[in-house]
Amino acid sequence: MQEFDFVKAKSLDHACTMLAGKRGRAKVIAGGTDLMIGLRNHRLSEEVDTIMDISGVGELAYIREEGELIRIGAGTTHAELALSSILWEAAPVLSMAAKSIGSPQIRNRGTIGGNIITSAPCADTVPALLVLDAALLLRRGESVRQVQIADFFEGPYRVKAAEDELLLEISFRRLRDGAKSLFDKLTRRNALAKARMNIAVIALQDKNKVVKDLRISLGSTTPIPCRFTDAERLFLGKVPRREDFLKAGQIISSEMVEKSGYRWSTDYKKPVVEALTAAALKRVLKAE
Amino acid sequence: MSYKVITRPLKRIDAREKVTGEAKFGADLNFSGQLYAKTVYSRYPHARVLSINTEKAEALHGVEAVITAADVPGENELFGRFPVFAEKEVKYTGDGVAMVAATSKSIAEKAASLVEVEYEELPAVLTIEEALAHGAALVHTDAPGNFIENTHHLMRAGDVERGFEEADIILEKTYRTQFVEHGYIEPEVVIALPEPYRRGVEIHGSIQNPYSIRENVARALNLRISEVRVIPGNLGGSFGGKDESVMLMAARTAITALKTGRPVKMVLTREESILESAKRHSYKAKYKIGARKGGTIVALENTIYTQGGAYNNKARFANWRASVHAAGPYRIPNVKTDLYGVYTNTIYGGAFRGFSAPQVVFCNESLMDELAAELGISPKEIRLKNCLKPGDELVTGQVLRPGKIPAPLKQMIEEVCSRSDFDRKREEFSAGNSGDEPVKRGIGLACTFRGTGLGGEGIDTAGATVTIEKDGSVNIVSNLNEMGQGMRTAHAQIVAETLGISYGRITFSPTDTSVVPDGGPTVASRGTLAGGNAMLIAAQKLKERLLMEAGKILNCSWEGLVIEDEIIQYRGKEKLSITFDELIPRCIMERGLTLSAQGWYNPGPEELDPETGRGNAYPSYIYGCAVAEIRVNTLTGKLDVDRITAAYELGRVINPQIVKGQLMGGLIQGMGYGIMEDTETKEGYLITRNFDELMLPTSLDIPEIDIILYETDQNIGPYGAKGIGEIGVELSAPAIANALFHATGRRVRELPMNLERVLLGRALKR
Ligand SMILES: Cc1cc2nc3c(=O)[nH]c(=O)nc-3n(C[C@H](O)[C@H](O)[C@H](O)COP(=O)(O)OP(=O)(O)OC[C@H]3O[C@@H](n4cnc5c(N)ncnc54)[C@H](O)[C@@H]3O)c2cc1C
Repeated sequence: MQEFDFVKAKSLDHACTMLAGKRGRAKVIAGGTDLMIGLRNHRLSEEVDTIMDISGVGELAYIREEGELIRIGAGTTHAELALSSILWEAAPVLSMAAKSIGSPQIRNRGTIGGNIITSAPCADTVPALLVLDAALLLRRGESVRQVQIADFFEGPYRVKAAEDELLLEISFRRLRDGAKSLFDKLTRRNALAKARMNIAVIALQDKNKVVKDLRISLGSTTPIPCRFTDAERLFLGKVPRREDFLKAGQIISSEMVEKSGYRWSTDYKKPVVEALTAAALKRVLKAE
Repeated sequence: MSYKVITRPLKRIDAREKVTGEAKFGADLNFSGQLYAKTVYSRYPHARVLSINTEKAEALHGVEAVITAADVPGENELFGRFPVFAEKEVKYTGDGVAMVAATSKSIAEKAASLVEVEYEELPAVLTIEEALAHGAALVHTDAPGNFIENTHHLMRAGDVERGFEEADIILEKTYRTQFVEHGYIEPEVVIALPEPYRRGVEIHGSIQNPYSIRENVARALNLRISEVRVIPGNLGGSFGGKDESVMLMAARTAITALKTGRPVKMVLTREESILESAKRHSYKAKYKIGARKGGTIVALENTIYTQGGAYNNKARFANWRASVHAAGPYRIPNVKTDLYGVYTNTIYGGAFRGFSAPQVVFCNESLMDELAAELGISPKEIRLKNCLKPGDELVTGQVLRPGKIPAPLKQMIEEVCSRSDFDRKREEFSAGNSGDEPVKRGIGLACTFRGTGLGGEGIDTAGATVTIEKDGSVNIVSNLNEMGQGMRTAHAQIVAETLGISYGRITFSPTDTSVVPDGGPTVASRGTLAGGNAMLIAAQKLKERLLMEAGKILNCSWEGLVIEDEIIQYRGKEKLSITFDELIPRCIMERGLTLSAQGWYNPGPEELDPETGRGNAYPSYIYGCAVAEIRVNTLTGKLDVDRITAAYELGRVINPQIVKGQLMGGLIQGMGYGIMEDTETKEGYLITRNFDELMLPTSLDIPEIDIILYETDQNIGPYGAKGIGEIGVELSAPAIANALFHATGRRVRELPMNLERVLLGRALKR
């Protein structure tokens, strides 16, 4: 195993100063549930000589409600997300995603920040945060910036952040009154399994079933996780028709093949993306 | 007959130390001055080794030895042609070409990467089809056709040609099963020490079969068998797996220990463990079955190829077991069975719980349902009609006599079906499945029988030593091995029952090849059967000795004495008695008796006709029947097992808690094999290398399990017990496959029934 110094950050400022001073030679560890595996498989850059543990930094672990806004510290664990009544009420799609992750041990250690930064194609909080249109707050040394999550990913396991940049917070607006949301996940077994595919949906219809808002995102589908706006547009401003559920699935599956190419798994994934989409839409949307 | 100790759910004899963590496992042992060893593995599935340069590795500070085939003092080729080190050729990616030993793990890791091996790639055969193709490359140049030596086993009963002529309907189907990793929680570990007091070597580690490993290490080191001492210690599971690779680890570390004069420790990583340990053989099985309109089966013919991998020492035994069971627990007058083991440049097949049964039973029981569907009769009816009943002749020619070889299968099928409400649910699920709801439900049935012990594979001997100490404690030691299955507890219960004393008096010592004689391997569900018989024999010898001595003390004839509740008493005369605690010191201190006895169980060989495969294959059989209920999402292929109801006939239950644990564990392991576990490869390289890819079932995947136990008398084991370690694993996969067919109308003939196979009917290759 690679040799390195292990430093426990005492505070947010300490963490940021340290990271800035190390100029990319320090790596953050939060829950360690991704990093430790990378370390064992020699995936950590040779440059790294310091691992900085932020799991003890209380300033990074919170779930706050500020009016319409929900703010989550990057160091919040999946277990904390899954247990938060604020979240179940404001954005159940994220609660469901967090609850589905790994096992109790993984949820107790793994953080939302780590999930986003690792940006595995199957990361479960990512589609949920995409449909929530979440914003990310990052800090590098003394400078702080905000970025929309949709603009944050570069490819599988690649994000647009500097090595010495710390993710501080994830924020989004609570679901509007009457909005429905859903997270679903297809796995090879019922725990401790990465998603073969996952889907997050938020939908809002008015009294006459006219779709006011619809947001769809599927993980493990495209190289860069995204919302499927073409499929969403099929419904916006209209009363959903049953046949459109499957049609939306087909739009998404074509987009998948277009962006990912026809791969070894596509024979399976194509019909399943369609089915998962149709089933999810059927559950959140009232049709004619 | 009422029992005092057996038949009770007593706490395991080694539960406390294992639960508290006090018990040590191989990896916990450390010896001063020990070196850490690491194997350098082959880079190719098949290649010529042109040169091995160890200079750089040897130059690394902290490296004490780098060894290759050139350093093997004795034979480099061990049982099953496994090389201690691949010398001229590597035949799969788990072959070891060298091993380094260094003062720390990290130095060893670094040194292993510095060993330079030059290869010339050779064409590799990776599947049964490739290996059998005309002109295929040979895995071993002296094994023509890539057939593994001594693995063609057959069964011939009646005349299949005539049988098929009598049939109204004939079905031909091909089934396939995958290589499966055991997935024990403890990875392999071996520590070899130069013997401190004499010539030789002492080996500790997670070793399932210490005696065969002792023999092979002696061969490799050019030592006498008695100069190698093997102490397996505690094992964190094995299921048949801690054998071939551990044999190689033991040979490699022992050579290095003697060469350097220092203890050498080797602990495999999970990746290494999955790479170089045995797997359940992968099967390709072609079946042809003929039946009359009414459902009576008249003929069965099958040809089964078992993929053995690069080296193999188990297919010769497993294929024989398969030949006895390949017609299923049915009365079929005309049978023709052939099994062949096939070499490939891949991971190799070995022993894994069931030892051919999980594959054969999946094929047979799928076929029975296919036949029933074709005939338009229910899966239950076809089995009731054809299943073995008392008085029937097995395919081997053995007659099932009530008592001697009981066959309560018919009764078991009926009871499992009524307990699971099979008939009603079949109708109810079918009706419910007709709508467009994507989730369908299904219910499926399967049954099996299993020859107990080794049978014709080898002589089913076992040894035991039971010693009563001055303080009245009783120590037992078996030549068979505790791996978590609970055998020690069963042995302790048998000894306590026989001696008429409390279970709490029994202690145990671990197996040690220098203490108990070689009674064969811990396999074939024979721990309680053969090992328990050896315990019984030893305990009976001691009991007789105690009674004779008590007779002298009490001045009465010893034949009238009994021991019960620790009191030796003349039958019917309360005054004529002495307690166990009074008797023991008198025997030892006053009379100088030895209260140590050796038990040796030897049922003698089974007679078989090599031309037909018929004869006394096994002295007795056990039976099982299970019903699985599933839910399957027809849009995604996701399959969940809701419930399994199963019945097993197993002679006598020595410890009901352990028996149920073994059966449930087996059913769950069989379910994992049926629906999720696979070892994926790409061009001869193993992709499934750790638990993230190897889909073992989790607690959230486990169905409700309801088990019914049947007991019968007059079996060959101690107190009428038979073996139960393996049968549990057999029925899940076929019962689930049959339930899946019921749910969807589609038959999956390849395992595992994972998302892709359930949805598309085929697997996808990366
Ligand atoms: C057995 C197992 C099961 C799993 N199951 C799932 C699952 O079902 N679904 C799922 O989505 N994931 C799963 N994971 C992956 C993992 O648990 C999650 O991605 C988790 O959220 C990672 O968080 P962490 O805090 O452990 O990250 P760490 O491992 O600590 O860090 C991961 C990466 O993020 C960086 N990082 C962490 N925090 C910050 C920060 N605040 N600012 C900047 N960089 C940061 C680290 O430097 C590192 O590069 C599983 C992992 C395991 C081992």
